[in-house]
Amino acid sequence: MSASEWVAVALLIAGCFFYLAGTIGLLRFGDVHSRLHALTKADNLGLMLVCAALAMLSANWRTAALLVLVWLLGLLAATVSAHLIARHARRGGD
Amino acid sequence: MSQILGLAILFLLLNLVAGLWRVARGPTGADRMLAALLFGSTTVAVLLIMAEWMAMPALRSVALLFVMLASIVTIAFFGLPTGDDER
Amino acid sequence: MVISVLIDFLLAAGMVVLALQVVSDKAVLRSIILFVVFGLVMALAWTRLHAPDLALAEAAIGAGVTGALMMMAWRRLLIINPERPADTPLGRSRLAVPVALLSAVLVATIGLTALDVESPTHTAGQVAAEEMTATGLGNPVTGVLLLFRNLDTLLEMAVLLIALLGARAISPPASPEEAAVVETGTPLVGALLAILVPLSILIATHLLLAGTHEPGGAFQAGAVLAAGGVALILSARLKPGERPGIVMQLGVTVGLIAFVAIGVGIMALGETLLVLPGTWAVYLIETAMMVSIGLTLALLFAGAPALVGRRG
Repeated sequence: MSASEWVAVALLIAGCFFYLAGTIGLLRFGDVHSRLHALTKADNLGLMLVCAALAMLSANWRTAALLVLVWLLGLLAATVSAHLIARHARRGGD
Repeated sequence: MSQILGLAILFLLLNLVAGLWRVARGPTGADRMLAALLFGSTTVAVLLIMAEWMAMPALRSVALLFVMLASIVTIAFFGLPTGDDER
Repeated sequence: MVISVLIDFLLAAGMVVLALQVVSDKAVLRSIILFVVFGLVMALAWTRLHAPDLALAEAAIGAGVTGALMMMAWRRLLIINPERPADTPLGRSRLAVPVALLSAVLVATIGLTALDVESPTHTAGQVAAEEMTATGLGNPVTGVLLLFRNLDTLLEMAVLLIALLGARAISPPASPEEAAVVETGTPLVGALLAILVPLSILIATHLLLAGTHEPGGAFQAGAVLAAGGVALILSARLKPGERPGIVMQLGVTVGLIAFVAIGVGIMALGETLLVLPGTWAVYLIETAMMVSIGLTLALLFAGAPALVGRRG
């Protein structure tokens, strides 16, 4: 394997680790507002690392740009969703 | 390399199975919705890896659609009344 | 190749378990959310079956329209009757188990028979694949939909229009208050729309243009447009209107009109009915279809004959 492939594998493993962290947070944290962190923090970091790994592997600027767009849209979706879910949960007095 | 990508996909899918427990358990509607969103972001990662693994660039468009439209269901969920959702 | 077998097994088992849970769960909200999850797994399954066109359609319709549609239906039921929103019959029918067993036997028989059948040497698919190079279209799905089996596609457009007319005939128009769930002042939603709506138009156009040579096409593009419309309806930027103007009427019918006009008009030049004269005709019809599909789905979601912009 070439050097860039080693870097990609390292990034991929790190990405999977943060996805695992997100899932553990979702399962183990005590209330809704804590669990929101699993969505907004860990998973988006995981998505960024996976996107970075795949951009390294593809070695293609167009693909890399598309992957960056996917990650940015992921950040936007997570931000808005987390906000709306938190408001919904607070309205319920939880 | 192909083996590693396959293992990553398998690992993320097993993550999804674990996440299902939160959808089933709740306790509030917000928890279930949150779990569904985690499903969404993991599926996006799986699709992106599959695009490389199966050499199908079109799957990146599928991932793009999912990530772009993920917030629409949440906006609709926001309109639901809170409280007892066991009915 | 153990890994790919494990992945496929997980997806197949996941789909069966999720499908069972979606129809048998007593809590309606849980069923809806599991259905959304089912859509995600379904898209992955289409991917593994090398059908990216279907995965795209599942992503656009599942994430953009049906999940929100079910949430809104559940919300409406809760508004109409807060005490007993869903009158689900308790206990299962005595016929459930026999019917399930019979269905399982039927599926198993068909599956085992299919294993023994030799794959035919000469299929319509092969003929279509051989003819594809002559058409100038790189995506075989678009080729089949628009050239080889375009009567089916034309009738599907008619079915979509009839579905809209049927929905309008049986349901009273939704009031503007029922359609929107987010007040216009809610933080972040405006910013989301400012990115989501222009992007949905851009991506729809991309899917439409790419559809002739790679996965994509009018149905996926129309669904993405509809998803943008759904976001605008949910956040009160578009409201259900009472009377469709000429723009709305033309919008929902333009796909059918363009298809019929070109398909029949070609006969004046001595060609056969519905033999499209070239790639330009494919582009033209697909564009018209995208507009009709997007608008029809958005109108079905809004439950109204027309959509009007927010005033002021």
